[in-house]
Order: sequence, then C-alpha cells, then structure tokens
Amino acid sequence: MASTIAVPGQLLGPASKYVAGPGTHIHEANLYSSLLGSISVTEPAPAPPPAKRLHRIAALHQTSAPAPTPTISVSRAAAGRREVLPEVNNVVLCRVTRITPRQATVAILVVGDAVLEAEWQGVVRAQDVRATEKDRVKIYESFRPGDIVRAQVISLGDQANYYLSTAKNELGVIMATSEAGNTMFPVSWKEYKDPETGLSESRKVAKPF
Amino acid sequence: MADRRRVNGPVGQTIPPIYDTPPPKFAANQKSQDAIRKIFLKTGVTPSASGSAYLELENPSSSTGRSSTSLKLTCTVHGPRSLPRSAPFSPHIILTTHVKYAPFATRQRRGYLRDSSERDLGVHLETALRGAIIADRWPKSGVDIIVTIIEGDQDRNAPENQADDGWDMMNVLGGCITVASAAIADAGIDCVDTVAGGVAALVVRDEKSQPTIVLDPAVAEYHKVFAACCVAYLPVRDEVTNIWFKGQLPDADGMLYAKLVEQSLIACRNASRVVIKALEDTVHPGQDTS
Repeated sequence: MASTIAVPGQLLGPASKYVAGPGTHIHEANLYSSLLGSISVTEPAPAPPPAKRLHRIAALHQTSAPAPTPTISVSRAAAGRREVLPEVNNVVLCRVTRITPRQATVAILVVGDAVLEAEWQGVVRAQDVRATEKDRVKIYESFRPGDIVRAQVISLGDQANYYLSTAKNELGVIMATSEAGNTMFPVSWKEYKDPETGLSESRKVAKPF
Repeated sequence: MADRRRVNGPVGQTIPPIYDTPPPKFAANQKSQDAIRKIFLKTGVTPSASGSAYLELENPSSSTGRSSTSLKLTCTVHGPRSLPRSAPFSPHIILTTHVKYAPFATRQRRGYLRDSSERDLGVHLETALRGAIIADRWPKSGVDIIVTIIEGDQDRNAPENQADDGWDMMNVLGGCITVASAAIADAGIDCVDTVAGGVAALVVRDEKSQPTIVLDPAVAEYHKVFAACCVAYLPVRDEVTNIWFKGQLPDADGMLYAKLVEQSLIACRNASRVVIKALEDTVHPGQDTS
C-alpha cells in the first residue's frame, strides 16, 4: 500500500471498520489521526483454530469476539524519531545509577526496541528483585552501579520514578563489570565471574535466551 | 524590574534612517479585505529541537519599497521529556509556553526578560494549544514550547510619535498559534486537530469611510482600528479553543461581535490550509510543489 499522509485531525474512517492503533483517536464514532505521518493498515492475525480440548477456561472476549477488523495506525515515516514512554508491562533496559539497602535507582535507556532520547528514572525495590525469598533479598548482592539490567515496568510510580521489577527468570543483570573493571560473564542464576581475576560477584542474573 | 545581569543596549526606540525624499505613501489597497496575507511556513528548521517551525507573513504593500515581510516567528518544541524532580506526579503532559520578542523585533526595544505583554501572549498560546493536545497520552512528561518573535508586525517607517496601541499583538498571537501547531505536529505530540490562529478587525481606512471588517489586518495600513478578535480554531472539529477580543464596538450592535468572530474563523481556515500543506511537505520533502 502506498503510504498516504495523515495530519492531526484527519478523518481516517468509521470506528466500526478499523481498530484504533497508535497515533489515532476516536471522536464521535469516527477515527481521526492524532499524529503527522503515514497511514498504515495492518490486517489482524488470523485467529488460531479452536483447540480440540480446552485446557483452561477461555476468556470471555475471546469466545465472543466479532469478525476481526484491521488496525489502522499513523506513524512518522522517518522512523526512530518518535519519542516513546515506558508503559506498564514494557520490558526495558536500564543502567543502575545508585543503590541503597531498600532499592536500586536506575536510568531507563531502552523501551522495547526504541532507544529513548530523554533519560527516565526508575527504581527497583528490594521486594521486586526476585519472585521467591523476597525478604532475604539484599540489594548490594543483586545490583551494582553501572550494571545493565533488563526489567519490566510494573507501575508509573510516583512523580520521579517508574517502578520496575526483575522478578522473572529472564529479567535481571545482563551486563556487569567487576570491581577490577573487567566485563564479567554469568556462571549461575546469582553469580557473575571475572575472567581475569577469577573472582565471582553475586548479582540477580538474567537467564540468557 | 531592571535587568542587571546582562549588558543591555540603550533603552528606547530604534530610529529608522531618515532620507531626503520621504518614502512614498503606500497604497493601502493592495490586499483584499477578505483575504489573509500570504504565509510562509516550514517545519524542521531547528535540528536540536524535537519539533520546530518557522513562519513569515508577506507585507502586501512591499512594492512601495518597504520590507517585503512583516512578521517573522520561529517556534521550537522540546520534549516530551521527564519532569524535574521537584514537580508533583502528573497523569498527563505538562505544557509550558514561552513567547519572547527579540530585542530588535519592534520599534520599542525589548529587554531580555519577558514583560507583561509577552507573558500575556504565552498564556493565550497555552490556552489555545491545551484544547488541541491529547494530554493523557504522555503521562509524567513535560513539553516546552518556545516562540521567538524575530520581527513584529509593525511599520518600521511610521513616525516616531505615532501611538502604539498594541493591535499588532493580535496578529502576533495568531501567528504564534499557527506556528506552534506546526511545530507540535513536527514533534510528534498527539493532537485532536491542527489548531490554527486567525485575526479579524473592525477598521476604518481613512477619516471619512465607514467601518468595515477585514481579515488579518496589517495595522499600519488603517486610519483607526476599533476592535480586533483573535481566535484559535480546530477546523475539523469546528471548535474554538481560545478567543481574545479587544477594543470597543462603535454601536451596540450585537451582531457585529458575532460577525467579527465569524470572520476570524475564516482567517483560521485559511491559515489551517497553509499548516496542512507545510506538514505534508514535512513528511515528503521531495515533492515540493509549493
């Protein structure tokens, strides 16, 4: 489809024909563009064939879903310029800036695939570091300043911080430097090892993919 | 409020050069009453900002040897970016507007600090834009909109003692709204519509003629301005986000007020077409058809 330009406020079609995607809004049952950019229509993924045996209770909206409608969205053609914000459930990459006994303060650098232009501050509280044995978590045995951490946003938080969690196997420290200044490699779920000095340091290690 | 931190130029007016032969009297009938002056609008002029735009108004009586432009505005949009640590939690975007005259923009030199008229313009601009932005798409963030007036809408060759009634502020506000709208769209901040600003005024051309309503008045061309109206308008939604009415209507004609607003809306629609054309050129810079 040839890219058609939309300017903010441009009518895109009735809300019954499309699902509102990013860069659009609904006003009086019509879809309008809310951004400057090119229009793209994505067909919905074909619905999976119904399972022969239902293993779990299906959600109500899945069983009674009407015929799928395409999603319409507006985005800037020169991709990457668009600024994004961390949202709840996003997986983010961040750098640890400061640790205290109760929490680690981080700077959020990447949301999903998008690199942020502004630096947003987040915090990993001690009870959000891992899912089990929460009361034995010690922040200084989980993070150190300078580590790169993969985390999930759990709340928009307070005025200054996003609240993040690393309570999953695949979340935690993904890059760490030792006290000697060397890049370390993970050896277990709670240990990183320095290849030169052979000393190991404890971290909340993210499971490699 | 003296500014003691900077090296300030001499206060007072900038005196234009005086020629032996006085400049020719301009012909006031260059522009039709129900047309707005030509607008030049371009986005993406400031690389360091998230979004920016530049606006220029043509001077309709430029054939008489005066400057060919009469209003020059540049707007930069910074953000969305994180709020300062001291700010309280906000579930929507915090909009901050700054309108500043360059020191050389008007006949009366402006200081480096914003004076009351500049703050006034900033408040009007903020009201106009707040109705257009979808604020809850950007929680916990702030955006700064800075409009610099490089050249005000004034006649540089006017006699020094001519009273400055501030009617040109209306045109400046209309231009500020239009240029900020383009810059916001360039920055990628969600808006319900492209807001545009327009001005209409009740004027007399000379002492004998009847008062008439004109669009986008070049103030210097008229003998007297009775009233002026600046409107910020969402053309697709048919909504007005800000209205500024100034002056006194000569007789108690209730319809005159409505007529003046209606004419402002026409000026807004004309300006909106320029914005949309400029935005389309932003996305596809190759197709320059102007």
